[in-house]
Amino acid sequence: MPVVTLYWDELERMVGKDRQTILSKLPMLGCDIERVEDDHVDVEFFPNRPDLYSVEGVARALRGFLDIEHGQKRYSVSKSDFKIFVEKEVLDVRPHITGCVVKNLKMTDEVIRSLMQVQEDLHWTIGRNRRKMAIGVHDLSRVNFPLRYTAVREDFSFVPLDFDTEMTVGEILRKHPKGIEYGFILKDHSTFPMIIDSKNEAISFPPVINAEKTRVTEGTSNLFIDVTGFDDNVDKALNIVATMFSDRGGEILAVDVIYPDRTETTPNLNPKEMKVPMREVRELLGFEIKADEAILALRRMRFDANTYTDAKTAEPDADITEKKNLEDEYLIVEVPPYRADIMHPWDIIEDVAIGYGYDRILPEYPATNTLGLTHPWNEIRDSVKEIMIGTGFLEVITFTLTNEKVQYKYMRRDATPWKDFVPVQHPLTEEHTIIRTHLLPSLLEVLSLNKHHPMPQRLFEVGDVVIGGLNRLKVAAVSTHSRANFSEIRSVAQTLLKELGIEWEAENDEDRAFIPGRCAEILVNGKSIGKFGEMHPEVLEKFQIFTPVVGIEIDLSDIFDVGEVL
Amino acid sequence: MLSPIEVVLINSLDEGIVYSLDSAADRCGLSRDAVLKAAYMLQEKGFAEVLIEKKRIFSLTGEGKLYLEKGTPEEQLYNLVKKEGSISVERAREIIGRDKVNIAIGWLRKRGIISIENGLIKIKKSASFSERDYLKLIQEGKAVLIPENNLKELLNRKLVDFDEEKEISIKIVKKPAADSKEVLRDITPELLLSGGWRGKEFLKYDVKIPSKTIYTSKIHPYERIIRECRKIFLEMGFTEIKGNYVQSSFWNFDALFQPQDHPARDMQDTFYLQKFTDLEEEFVEKVKQTHLTGWKTGSTGWGGSWSIDTAKRLVLRTHTTAITIHYLARNPEPPVKAFTIDRVYRREAIDATHLPEFEQLEGVVLDKNVGFRHLLGLLKEFFLKMGFEDVRFRPGYFPYTEPSVEPEVYVDGMGWIELGGAGVFRKEVTEPLGIKGKVLAWGLGMGRLAMLRLGMKDLRRLYQPDISWLRELPAIIK
Repeated sequence: MPVVTLYWDELERMVGKDRQTILSKLPMLGCDIERVEDDHVDVEFFPNRPDLYSVEGVARALRGFLDIEHGQKRYSVSKSDFKIFVEKEVLDVRPHITGCVVKNLKMTDEVIRSLMQVQEDLHWTIGRNRRKMAIGVHDLSRVNFPLRYTAVREDFSFVPLDFDTEMTVGEILRKHPKGIEYGFILKDHSTFPMIIDSKNEAISFPPVINAEKTRVTEGTSNLFIDVTGFDDNVDKALNIVATMFSDRGGEILAVDVIYPDRTETTPNLNPKEMKVPMREVRELLGFEIKADEAILALRRMRFDANTYTDAKTAEPDADITEKKNLEDEYLIVEVPPYRADIMHPWDIIEDVAIGYGYDRILPEYPATNTLGLTHPWNEIRDSVKEIMIGTGFLEVITFTLTNEKVQYKYMRRDATPWKDFVPVQHPLTEEHTIIRTHLLPSLLEVLSLNKHHPMPQRLFEVGDVVIGGLNRLKVAAVSTHSRANFSEIRSVAQTLLKELGIEWEAENDEDRAFIPGRCAEILVNGKSIGKFGEMHPEVLEKFQIFTPVVGIEIDLSDIFDVGEVL
Repeated sequence: MLSPIEVVLINSLDEGIVYSLDSAADRCGLSRDAVLKAAYMLQEKGFAEVLIEKKRIFSLTGEGKLYLEKGTPEEQLYNLVKKEGSISVERAREIIGRDKVNIAIGWLRKRGIISIENGLIKIKKSASFSERDYLKLIQEGKAVLIPENNLKELLNRKLVDFDEEKEISIKIVKKPAADSKEVLRDITPELLLSGGWRGKEFLKYDVKIPSKTIYTSKIHPYERIIRECRKIFLEMGFTEIKGNYVQSSFWNFDALFQPQDHPARDMQDTFYLQKFTDLEEEFVEKVKQTHLTGWKTGSTGWGGSWSIDTAKRLVLRTHTTAITIHYLARNPEPPVKAFTIDRVYRREAIDATHLPEFEQLEGVVLDKNVGFRHLLGLLKEFFLKMGFEDVRFRPGYFPYTEPSVEPEVYVDGMGWIELGGAGVFRKEVTEPLGIKGKVLAWGLGMGRLAMLRLGMKDLRRLYQPDISWLRELPAIIK
């Protein structure tokens, strides 16, 4: 989640309050304060509020939240003659484009800094790293309208930003830093998006790079912004950028985008209307908030809202109170154009709660009446733990992520991927490539790391393994000291199985992890449910353990009904 | 007053006799360490003396062993010259070896035993060599029989080496005054059966002296915290649920309204498995429509596209919410209260506060007449039962809840700490799954709780146990 750097002098000036006040109220708007410095503060806003990725957006939100000005900030867009013609060639490459013009802007350092931050943050969040949306900013005086938005072949050339000679699209994708970084977005295409002006010169190659000719400098006072992508995320991003410039004193002019089948005039900075029933507000929030309280809360959050009552439901001769039937009271809410996150009436209701103040809502424990119930998996787990502790073993907990070396190779065993164990697709390290199917290797690893502590060491774990994609409950134990032997672990097996109420038989087993002739299989009704014995010296060598070890491992899922596992 | 081991020692040895540590240990049946400890304690009280003698143990070096077998170079050369009458230096070097001959010549000439004229060695006077005898004595451990000077020379010539050993011996100098009454030490079955203890006094022990440490077997401290949380949920009337670690992307992401192009679904952050599973028909179409257009939920939906193959992809679950939502889809009629405390996975580099797998706690409440306020009520009660009296709430964000909240608890010495997250499940989540009513949900990572309760700085210690830490950490921590 992006962290926004807000410089105090700028923020205080734009909000009209001092930093102490701002700092104390900001978290209640919804954010995490990362770091407070003398000249700036780093704040992490949530990814669904890209309108807060700039000091302008934060100041606008704070002025409402701190009760300096309520309700919507109205933005006007002037008509213009600027046109972009969208050619059909680009429709299956990167079909959606919007644009706007900003005039009379003082391009101070502050503005440039803010623009760069918001552009980067929007590219990363809404844009999903430019894949879904990319923003280009141009010096309007170097752009000759009308523009064509089309798709060109690899051999099309222009002078890209930061360079002084022409490069073809192909060369840019291979050699230009931005081409290398963002070329993957276009990798399945043979034609490439290009915005070309009336002089037949390219001004932008979205989403990769602008042309050098429209570079923005300190002298620039008028801008052209283009945003390209696939859906309304493009419009959302444009609205955020346009309102930001408007807040800085710029005049916003519209651009007509002419598609083969329709024309869109962008940006549309008119609020969207949404109807929210008061009944739903009260039910979702869980208390009887009055309509005017809700409206005040929304106005704090820079919405405009009014009530509307559907009088048709009341009987004509019903009295006044019945007519004012709360059931049918609605809020008509005007949603600001820069709010990218309002998908459902409940998104508005959350803003009611924030504007009202989370700290003002009185918590109430719900009357929901249910009975508590433990899960059989954990009941069995706890009983087995109790038995093992009573037998003198110390509980350990280990990772389930492990690797084939430790789980099989060191244990002198074989295993097949997917049949026996679950491999992870892009492991982060060599140590964690599969999910364990056995507990004993994990315990041996623990012994290996604790050689220098006093003996005897008796450890156990009751935990999950994953076999065939499903969890199973197992118990395993190890004992190590200079006299550890088969007798000892057989005693443990006898005790454990007796306490679990299980009748069993031992049979000789040839599991190579154990010393031949010193390994027993535990059979219950003819089925093998576990093993115990003396660990083979080669196993101990692999684990670098220098005292004899005896071990036991039992599959409890085999013996008990472990309940429903989703 | 004497401790039990002092009593045993003083009664096993005779007064005035010097015993080696080993023979003292044999006589009283205690270990060498116990005997030594007891002896020092008795020495402090004036009953015994501990004598430490530094003894040198001599042994032959490699060269020493060689000379024992073949004789010293000078002896070898002398015998050779004696046999031959006279011999050239060259020839001697050929037979015995150049270096040895040089050593030998030096040694013999110094003592006037040989002379060299025109390159020929001749015996001037007869000599005898006792070095081999001395070396033999060393080998037999009888170094004490060798004259001091000769021993020094053997050491200088690096034919002999020594180790210093401490030899400890104990002498009882005084036995404590005997009482007129016989004082009983060990209580034995015989004593009890015979009644022989009547009329006698029991030896008093020094109760302040610590005994041997017992390493008790116990529950893992982390498990103790997990049990505490389980108990709280059960007391609040929640049903415990359990899910597999491997889940479909459908339950882990799609059913929770997380768009298929959401960054959290990246390879970067999630452990994907190279396998696909089948999905339950009854939910898939509705979830798909909700993603695309919002379906009947009143939402705009995400638009774009929705691929069933993406949903079928298996993952190691990234949160327990994958399980709670599945449970609610199977139990869609209110009232339902469910919880789980179980392992989840994140594909993140491991460090002191980030692990690839850890426990998450999660509770959900499904009911008709509940709302955000009741979620806050649940959180307050839950944290109170955990020992956090002061809780406050800030707006939060999760893709599948609205409104969302980040609870903070006050910890002495640390201030306000965020502990988990909570919210009301969005309609886009509950409606396509047929869940009737509102779902209040909250969760937290158990690692954070463990760090607070156990004062840990490094979470890795929970899953990579240090046995001494497990042994030392008390079962009850304030």
